Amino acid sequence: MLWHYLWVAPSVLLLVLGFGLWRLGVHRQHPLFLAFVLAGAVEQLTLYVLDIVPSVAPETWWRFFWAGLILEGILKFALLSEIFAHVFRPYVAIAKLGKHAIGAAGVLLIFASSLAAALTPVDGLFGIVSGAHILEQTIYIIECGILASIFGFSSYFRIGMPVAERGIALGLSISACVHLATWALAANNSLPNDSRVVLDFINMATFHLCVLMWIYYLLVPRRVSVKTAPIGLPENNLAVWNRELERLLQ
Amino acid sequence: MTLAIILVVAAALALIFILSITVSRSLQVSNTSLAERIQPLDVEAFRNLTDVAEDAYLRRRLRPADFRSVRRERLRAMAAYVQVAGRNATVLVRIGQSALAANDSETAAAAQQLVEQALLLRRNATFALLRIYLALAWPNSDSDARLILHRYEQLNGSAMLLGRLQNPAMPVRISVGL
Repeated sequence: MLWHYLWVAPSVLLLVLGFGLWRLGVHRQHPLFLAFVLAGAVEQLTLYVLDIVPSVAPETWWRFFWAGLILEGILKFALLSEIFAHVFRPYVAIAKLGKHAIGAAGVLLIFASSLAAALTPVDGLFGIVSGAHILEQTIYIIECGILASIFGFSSYFRIGMPVAERGIALGLSISACVHLATWALAANNSLPNDSRVVLDFINMATFHLCVLMWIYYLLVPRRVSVKTAPIGLPENNLAVWNRELERLLQ
Repeated sequence: MTLAIILVVAAALALIFILSITVSRSLQVSNTSLAERIQPLDVEAFRNLTDVAEDAYLRRRLRPADFRSVRRERLRAMAAYVQVAGRNATVLVRIGQSALAANDSETAAAAQQLVEQALLLRRNATFALLRIYLALAWPNSDSDARLILHRYEQLNGSAMLLGRLQNPAMPVRISVGL
């Protein structure tokens, strides 16, 4: 029962989130997030139906899984680029540097994930399954690394992320890190087959939590601060600055 | 199995890193305590340290070994100044960001200008520090931190303008002096 709930509920919640984004007009600022949400919901519900229909062959299920995985991967990287643009584009001074830094991190991550994929054992009998695990592992290595770079770069420059971007990025990060860990264990045959179901439960529960997080960050109305606190540059420091500057100008 | 362990550890570290940033950023610090974090910087002493003519003079007057030793001392002092300038810039970024949503368009524009200049200073301070550390390994090389000084002067002006717009009662002598 829990298995079915954890598979279906996040997808239904994603549809609710998509509808909410549309109604609130948030989709205009985050069109790729809306696409990611809707595609994710349709993908998971399709896989669920294919899984419970007895006439569907396992190979057919895995083919659909592959198609969904590739589409999801493309949408995720497009979404990361959207988050990056929203966080850094307003700051001309570092937008270009950020683009180069995250781009360089992306290249390094592609190399690292390719190396990890090359070192991961491939099951000759079930190539379609182990191939999917390796692709998942590759996508999550790059996704985790890029998200950590975005958070690290914004933290280094003390740039505040807008609430929606923070929520989207945080949800993606938690999901990506947990999925990376579980898919790495699955892809490298680190657990016996009967224990792998635990990994599925962890993945599904984590994704459920992330969907709830997105709903909280994007649909729950927030208090708008009417007045910002005045800047409290202390007079003493200003006096020191002034004195030094006056001396410099003499 | 080893690869799986490496990836699990990497994923855990990435998650801890991201969550720690998120938590630390959500713990709001008031503008008052932020402003208290600004450390005064002796611009004149910094200017002296970044003076190329001073370096050339020392190079002429001292033996090469002594010059390298003195130069290293000066570079360490320069690094300390650049670090302070960079830290002050991050504080000013946060102060400026808190003023971006101001209703007054003049204040918001001043805040935007302060944030941009502070970010530029932070970026330049990072590059200058890298160059200074490289120069520490090879003291005869050039480590030009004058750009930092110039940016710092610009930042002073922006911070004062924003402070004046937000709190006109605060006496800021530079506006009178200039």
